[in-house]
Amino acid sequence: MSDIRFEGWLHRSGTGGVYQDSAGNVGIASTQPQTRLDIGNGGFQVGPTGIATVTTINTTNLINGTPLTNRNLIINGAMHIAQRATSSTTSGYGDVDRWQHEYAGNDEAPTFAQVSLTTSDTPYTLGLTKAFKITNGNQTSGLQATSQINFMQPIEAQNIRNSGWNYKSSSSYITLSYWVRASVTQEYHGFVKTADGSNYAYPFSLGTLSANTWTKITKTIPGNSNLQIDDNNGAGFQVWPVAFYGTNYTNDSITENAWAAWASGNRSHDQTATWWTTNDSTFEITGVQLELGSVATPFEHYSYGDELARCQRYFCKAAEKGGSDHSVALGANYSGSNAFIHVTFPVTMRTTPTLDQLTGTNYYRYFSNGGYETFDDMNSLDTATATPEGVEVLKSGISITQGSAGFLRYQHASAEIRFTAEL
Amino acid sequence: MAYPTDPIYKLQKEPIYGKVCAVNKQIGDSEPYRVLSIPFEEANTDYQEYLAWVAEGNTAEAAD
Repeated sequence: MSDIRFEGWLHRSGTGGVYQDSAGNVGIASTQPQTRLDIGNGGFQVGPTGIATVTTINTTNLINGTPLTNRNLIINGAMHIAQRATSSTTSGYGDVDRWQHEYAGNDEAPTFAQVSLTTSDTPYTLGLTKAFKITNGNQTSGLQATSQINFMQPIEAQNIRNSGWNYKSSSSYITLSYWVRASVTQEYHGFVKTADGSNYAYPFSLGTLSANTWTKITKTIPGNSNLQIDDNNGAGFQVWPVAFYGTNYTNDSITENAWAAWASGNRSHDQTATWWTTNDSTFEITGVQLELGSVATPFEHYSYGDELARCQRYFCKAAEKGGSDHSVALGANYSGSNAFIHVTFPVTMRTTPTLDQLTGTNYYRYFSNGGYETFDDMNSLDTATATPEGVEVLKSGISITQGSAGFLRYQHASAEIRFTAEL
Repeated sequence: MAYPTDPIYKLQKEPIYGKVCAVNKQIGDSEPYRVLSIPFEEANTDYQEYLAWVAEGNTAEAAD
């Protein structure tokens, strides 16, 4: 076999072929090889130091700078965790963890719920088996200026600040992606917003969604020199994947897909009222992912336990509801009428949390010295001893023996002791 | 169950040193009531909400 030596094109067909320059660099479909081996004008390069560089692998959507793990800055983007309830009409936190919702200017309250998807739902085929669903009420007064229903996740500032996003640079990107389905065909809107310093917002349109059709929304968002995101445990960034607003909150002259100083009346363009005025209209969302880089990668699935632990940084329970004689925690009898119940949290919480208890007649029972005391509620937590790792919960006004130990039980199906450190 | 509705907050004392240890707030008008016991922690958003309420000129009910 003899050597094949050449300079210039060995063979060329259309844009293909093999090319060698005078320095010995070889290109395939590459007229000016920049390295020892260059395929497709920089698409794939090797050398001269022997390091391979691949600018884009389109089949997996992994790009340079995209973390391989812990990509998703959103917690509970798959809507799997619902520690409080699976359905509520609460304005605030009431159902799926980490997602806050508000409503106002309405005739009938909307319902917020975790729902199960089925094989006919596109996200289900991608491993997303739960979704968050807003079911509208009957808004007989129409879309008023003060009307709103929104859905938002606040993110700890330090999680964005330390994500790798150069948020001050217009050439550094984060990408927000999620699946949505609405029962009404119309244009929908969302935005992201900073929450430190002078706040800035980045409004965008979801486009006109076809009724009852799952659509993937992708928004690539650049940094901006005006943004401030602190390195602390406060709210630094907010994601509002969808928001319904009356004209008090909208302005048709704002520029979409651009950062601008936050103004409450500039959250979106003026909105079509069809969804709002359709009784029992619905909007579903799942697979919310916010990640470093300019490309939306496939949704990063976490195990139930891992996602639950992420949520417990913001909300956890001393024990699940369980009816009569359901174990909660151990206590110590400080005096003949005061017991301290110590609760250690499953993870370190964001900050010292609020004791958040569900109370009622004879909801709780404290056992000690061969007897028990039944009561409606706990008195309080003790700030002086409370930490993000655990708290002492005080029960006063009971008859117990000083120096003894005891244990607390739920005595009612609705009793529950929770702790909240939400943003 | 004797939580105030106006003012909506009530201070609480702990029995060891007799110091005010938290501020409580009841939500709801039927069982199960939701009772929040809020620590004096600046990063706690319930405490931030309480401080905003105080800044409006309101005063919590004194501890028993």
